[in-house]
Amino acid sequence: MTELRALLAAELRIFVRDKTSLTFTFLFPLLFILIFGSLMGGMGSAEGRRLGLVVVGGDAETLRTVVAQIGQLETTEYVAPADLDAAVTSRDVDFGLVWDGRTLTTVVDVRRFEENSAYEEIARGIASRFNLAIQGREPLVDVEKVVEGSGASADWLTRVLPGILAFSVLSAGLFAVAGHITSMKQRRLLDRLVVTPMHPVNLVAAVVVSRLGVVFASTLITLAAAIQVFRVELHVHWVRYVASVVAATVGSMGLGTAIALVVRQPSSAGSLANVLSITMMFVSGIYFPVEIMPAFLRAVSAAMPLRYMADALRYATGVMDMSPARFWATNAVLLGLGVALLPVLSRYLVRAERR
Amino acid sequence: MEETALRVTNLRKSYGEVHAVDGVSFAVPVGRVFTLLGPNGAGKTTTLEILEGIRDADEGEIEVFGQRVRRIDRATKERMGVLLQEGNFEPHLRVKEVLRLFSSFFRSPRSLSDVLREVSLEEKENAFVKTLSGGQRQRLALGVALINNPDLVFLDEPTTGLDPQARRNIWSLVTGLTESGKTVILTTHYMEEAEALSNAVCIMDHGRIIAEGSPRDLAAQLGRETLIEFVAPPGKEPSPESLGPSCKAVRRDGDLVVVETEDLVATMARLLDWSGTAESALAGMTVRQPNLEDVFLSMTGRRLRE
Amino acid sequence: MSAVLSIARAQVAVTLRERITLFWFLVFPLFVLALMTLVFSNVGEDGGDMTFEITLVNLDRPSPGGADFSSGIAEALRHLGEPREGGEDPLFALHVPGEDVEPHAYLDEELAALRVGRRAAVVVIPQGFSENAARAAFASGETVSSKLSVHTSGGRTSSDLAASILDQVFATVDREILTRLGLFDAGRSVVLARREIGTQGREFRYVDFLLPGVVLMGFLTAGLFSVPGTILFGREQKILRTYWVTPLDVPRYFAGFALGHVALCALQFACVVLLGRFAFGARVDLLQPVPLLYLVLAAATSLAIGFLIAAVARTGNAGMAIANIVNMPMMFLGGLFFPIGELSPALRAAMLANPVTYLADGLRASTGAEAGVLPPVATVAVPLAWIALCVGVAAFRLRLDEKR
Repeated sequence: MTELRALLAAELRIFVRDKTSLTFTFLFPLLFILIFGSLMGGMGSAEGRRLGLVVVGGDAETLRTVVAQIGQLETTEYVAPADLDAAVTSRDVDFGLVWDGRTLTTVVDVRRFEENSAYEEIARGIASRFNLAIQGREPLVDVEKVVEGSGASADWLTRVLPGILAFSVLSAGLFAVAGHITSMKQRRLLDRLVVTPMHPVNLVAAVVVSRLGVVFASTLITLAAAIQVFRVELHVHWVRYVASVVAATVGSMGLGTAIALVVRQPSSAGSLANVLSITMMFVSGIYFPVEIMPAFLRAVSAAMPLRYMADALRYATGVMDMSPARFWATNAVLLGLGVALLPVLSRYLVRAERR
Repeated sequence: MEETALRVTNLRKSYGEVHAVDGVSFAVPVGRVFTLLGPNGAGKTTTLEILEGIRDADEGEIEVFGQRVRRIDRATKERMGVLLQEGNFEPHLRVKEVLRLFSSFFRSPRSLSDVLREVSLEEKENAFVKTLSGGQRQRLALGVALINNPDLVFLDEPTTGLDPQARRNIWSLVTGLTESGKTVILTTHYMEEAEALSNAVCIMDHGRIIAEGSPRDLAAQLGRETLIEFVAPPGKEPSPESLGPSCKAVRRDGDLVVVETEDLVATMARLLDWSGTAESALAGMTVRQPNLEDVFLSMTGRRLRE
Repeated sequence: MSAVLSIARAQVAVTLRERITLFWFLVFPLFVLALMTLVFSNVGEDGGDMTFEITLVNLDRPSPGGADFSSGIAEALRHLGEPREGGEDPLFALHVPGEDVEPHAYLDEELAALRVGRRAAVVVIPQGFSENAARAAFASGETVSSKLSVHTSGGRTSSDLAASILDQVFATVDREILTRLGLFDAGRSVVLARREIGTQGREFRYVDFLLPGVVLMGFLTAGLFSVPGTILFGREQKILRTYWVTPLDVPRYFAGFALGHVALCALQFACVVLLGRFAFGARVDLLQPVPLLYLVLAAATSLAIGFLIAAVARTGNAGMAIANIVNMPMMFLGGLFFPIGELSPALRAAMLANPVTYLADGLRASTGAEAGVLPPVATVAVPLAWIALCVGVAAFRLRLDEKR
């Protein structure tokens, strides 16, 4: 027990004194929320959209009436299309509509491709109402939108947050093995430990426990910051939360072990882990929905552990519903993967380096 | 014709309270091997690094081939070759690439093949630095130091960490340098190296020169003594009085008893008598002349290799 | 060969021979280009080639002989449940209750499935829909409409996308019904058009936007990691000091170093552009004089920032830590991969202080593919100011040997 405690204390000290690890684990999730929250705010709620309107011919009043019926839209009228173009370019408005009596043209800044789908949807809505209204008709069909399940009020940041947490858990677990342990192997530090009576299992246990501690600390800090600073509303189910975080951490360490076994040189493990984690970050539906990707990438996404970690955390934080069976199965698989590979990791620690 | 390759006067360098170099002065004639000998921390490397231009002195004058230099400038470096105590080459470069790189720094470098031949690295010209053994790396470093056919060569601890064979290789290279008229400034903490290679030795300790001269002259400072050494357990050694008037001293060096005498035959006879009485087998007995180690020991009470 | 060329050549050789460095230098930018292009290859097409699981529960029972509008909607949705041209999967996989299934019970089951993500949307046409719709069609002066409900799953983007597609379906159905009733003249239908701004007349393709960004990312990574890494580890491992005992002086060393860095950036640039052009059909032309000038400016800026890090960090590991911390924000707040949208004031300030923002904007604008957002003068002046600042600090602080 003393051996485990000593190793655990050493692991925690090493982690805390490594500025890079500290920054990546604690600071980056916060940074990501800030940056991505600002960059991609358009892919979600349609609050406060700014429309620029130009009427060069035809019935202006009807168009204005229809536009006014669309809620949460701030409208500015311009005299000429060129003025509207300038306003769109300089971001005084988000998109524009030009009516010349025959054609209703939607004007978008193509560089804002992330947000344009939301603008164009609004434009389509206006266009179809206007199409009817100009002939004195109202739409026959009134569509009532009902949001089922938790996450009903989830804005983009609330939806993204569990994904960010999942990614930070993945990184911590992955690089604990394919980074920290492989680096120790590369620098022959493990040799010094291995020639003592130390049980390799205790070192593995120390790494697991220390990472769990770190991961809980970092995710809780991120959650607290999101709730306090960004006013995110979450309903955290703590049992599910703990289960998800533990399973994800251990599972990620298992993945890290798999990487360590596959590479020829321990120093390459970090690079491979980086490539995998960046791939996962992009294709697991954390920042961009999987739905916008081509079919083969969606298939790749289905094979990414991060996708399931994120889903489990979304459920645990009340952002999305999921069947309990699926939730527990996901965690069981992740935990199982990690636990199954831990003995392999023990053996890796003591294995003589291939030359 | 310059006669003095290097003259150093009152060189000083301090780091806070520590006087790493404390008023060092010496002169090195052209074509000689001059050695700074002393234990670790004596100030040898600091002195050399000042002369090589990678450290600044607090005080002192330096003359290189009769020219007073305030700083070791480019023109001076053209005439110098340096083997650093701590210096490495890019592990991913090949031997010939390293030599080519360094030769581009000088106005009149030698041909690579000449240098490779001189340091016996022809077979390794395409090898990566990271694959070289310790001895091969040191030979490469020496090759780099000689790439510009320098008149003045600085070798800072050239054989530290090398196996005996590699050491001998370096020794023979160094001997060859003076045969071609080069002046060599060498630092070492190996007494045998100083004795084998040097024309003149300065013994340094705590930043100062405590003795200077040829190896033979320095040893002769200890008088016309002979040393008799043998192994005996503590407490079992003869007293100087019991060994007669020609015995100067009897001292301990760990397991070794060291008898200093001016008359070998007389003292030996008395010693044999004593061994019978004291039932000491005089195990591992050797008879030798004093060396630089003994000089240092007598002056400081410490060993060179402590 | 002159010392400057020798040093440049040695630097290029060492970088290309160190596996890890080679990976980050060459493989990684290519990987990012491929990944991002593939992820966003569907951009602009909502739903792309997706199939959404949609449930329709039609509770409407129109009277015989009366208007039956709910069937029209059901028909439209069924049509979208047919395979698309080219044999691709249909847009909707439509679920409807069987003949002998109690619809309300079925609805409850489907809503439960919706909540856990097995359905993208559930459409419920209530009883009396057709009757209400008929009244709405012929009402005069009153605003009457017939409601139907679309249920979506909270927190799921696929649901949002399905709902938005359904909106369009209903709007089309609406028009068709009115047209059939003679209440809407399709011939006088408003013509819908779309105009894109910012493309300089060409079609916008994400890979053309991305490619300059990836090139700049490569330069930035080289500057942040390779430059301080070489200097700091070279100092720590006592490689640099072997140079200082020779006549090589610091200015020539830096000149050679800079030349090597530019050569490596050029190599990186060539690989990224070749991949972009031949694998992903990028058309943006970076081989014009002005874009090339921006690229040189970018290489110089990354070099200067690298010197700054080398001057500020005490050890190689500290330098790499700084680089890691600074890398992500500089990339993502520089408009390399995504255009900068509306940012909070703090982030906007960071974006405007970031030299990468100006380089990216200037480079893209100079290719003629897009209009720039920032003033052209700023896109050159700010990076130059950064270079001056970094070089100035480095000149004072950068130590090239540990002892002195």
